[in-house]
Amino acid sequence: MQNSSSSSSLMVKQEFFTKWKKGLKIYSAFNKEMTIMERKRAIKLSADVAIASTRSATTQWSRAVVAEVSSSAAGAARIAAEEILGRKLSTERRKAQAGKKIVRRRRKAAARGAVRSSAAAVAKKVVRNRRRVLKRLIPGWKKLDEICLIKETLDYIASLQVQVDVMRHLANAGETLHHQQILL
Amino acid sequence: MDKQHYLMNAGIPLQIEASMPSPWTSDQSLSMDHHFDSSLTSAAFALRHLIGKLDRSSPAALPSLAADPGFAERAAKFSCFGSRSFNGRTSSPGSATPGQSMSALPRVASSPSLKLNGSPPPRNRKLPSSGANSNEESSVSEQIPSSNSRKRKSASRGKNKDDRSNSAKEAEEDENLKRSKQTQNCENEQECNENKTNQKPPEPPKDYIHVRARRGQATDSHSLAERVRREKISERMKLLQDLVPGCNKVAGKALMLDEIINYVQSLQRQVEFLSMKLASVNPDMDFNMENLLSKDMYQQSTSLPQQMYPLDSSSPAYYHHHQNVQHQLLHGTNISSVDPLPLDATLGIQIDGFAQNLPQQFPAFTEDDLHSIVQMGFIHNSVQNQTSNMKVEL
Repeated sequence: MQNSSSSSSLMVKQEFFTKWKKGLKIYSAFNKEMTIMERKRAIKLSADVAIASTRSATTQWSRAVVAEVSSSAAGAARIAAEEILGRKLSTERRKAQAGKKIVRRRRKAAARGAVRSSAAAVAKKVVRNRRRVLKRLIPGWKKLDEICLIKETLDYIASLQVQVDVMRHLANAGETLHHQQILL
Repeated sequence: MDKQHYLMNAGIPLQIEASMPSPWTSDQSLSMDHHFDSSLTSAAFALRHLIGKLDRSSPAALPSLAADPGFAERAAKFSCFGSRSFNGRTSSPGSATPGQSMSALPRVASSPSLKLNGSPPPRNRKLPSSGANSNEESSVSEQIPSSNSRKRKSASRGKNKDDRSNSAKEAEEDENLKRSKQTQNCENEQECNENKTNQKPPEPPKDYIHVRARRGQATDSHSLAERVRREKISERMKLLQDLVPGCNKVAGKALMLDEIINYVQSLQRQVEFLSMKLASVNPDMDFNMENLLSKDMYQQSTSLPQQMYPLDSSSPAYYHHHQNVQHQLLHGTNISSVDPLPLDATLGIQIDGFAQNLPQQFPAFTEDDLHSIVQMGFIHNSVQNQTSNMKVEL
């Protein structure tokens, strides 16, 4: 089981890596002019879009990442994202989908009235708060409900693990090569 | 269940598309809410009877169903599909039609995310309707005839749904949907003693009276749907437990959620940190390292960093040689004509900049090429330079 899981995650890693490289390629022309912060942002954006595209818009968080990039990215970032995704980004769609769940949440909050002070209720409150915190961590959290939250978290964690793994390998290798270069 | 199970999850096929959308497709208008609120009509009794039948059948079936490990997953997906069609009609007109979208396997994973749209909106919409009802004082008798016709419609639709279900799975799914429907009704009925969701609003007495007739039956379906939902959630929490390291030891939702939150935060911070690190280290080495690491990725070796270190002890002459090779490569010479240590060439870091690398590196080095090159390089390494520590598993 471990082998098969590692092989499937390996495929995801390869896909992520390829797409990430694609994105970084776009930036390569600018490399000399970019400050370190800009470079970092470029790397992170390419990585985020790449890992979101491995899910190919099947999950809420990946769609949210792409939507955020498409609405707030400029210039080279946009081109890199489009290159990774293989398609044009649209800028207007976010607002159309934003409305319905907000209404729901407001109504529920208004209607909740009873004060429950039993131990179970306190525990539930704690759990609920934590769920809320967890929800905020996941991109596109506004559109997540309790059940979907867990599924999205699962997917998001798996993708984050892939991302961190690949990036860490790259960083380690780069650091080692850098040290070698310095040594010689 | 581990990562692999989760990543492969989308492969579960679903065949219920035909039957699922129909009862929900017309559930768009706010008037549909009255379906759930109305009672004391013959149609309501008919529906209740239907529900009762399901309830009677389900308690026996449910434990076995719940025992089925795939059941919770299927239930989740089915209900999500139902809600997806629901959502698909309600939300964006640009979204794919349910039939078309559901036939594509990768979309399966997306449907749970839309479950939110499916289940809460029915719940949600009762609120406005209940609010409206509470405002009208004389409404009970008035609403009954109007909701009567709607109730009949929903009952007939429910029956149609049953007719159309072909497999046992679909029947289960219908039960689940009905149960969840009933559950949501019960939520509105102020069945608040067991708070399955934390956002259950107290229902104004008007609607309470409306739905009272259904309440006796609904309790069963309520708890059953509740049980199904809890099964679903616990199943997914188990998956999460496998994914998050250190989650096995803690028991209970709060602690587990705490661990998960910490883990997600740490992963996100790691991404930030690593991207900063790459930005600082990177300018000279970008694509060489990427080619290098493509090898690493293929072999899934986490020992790469450690194996890099033996390179420190390789002879400087060797390394200079690599750099020469690298220069030659940069100038676009044929690889075979160069002293065949191309792997080390990729290790060589004398890269002038991205733009130079790019046209030469990428045509020259696909990952497959690199692989064969590595093989060549390895052989030649051991033969020519007697650097046995050049264990290039790269």
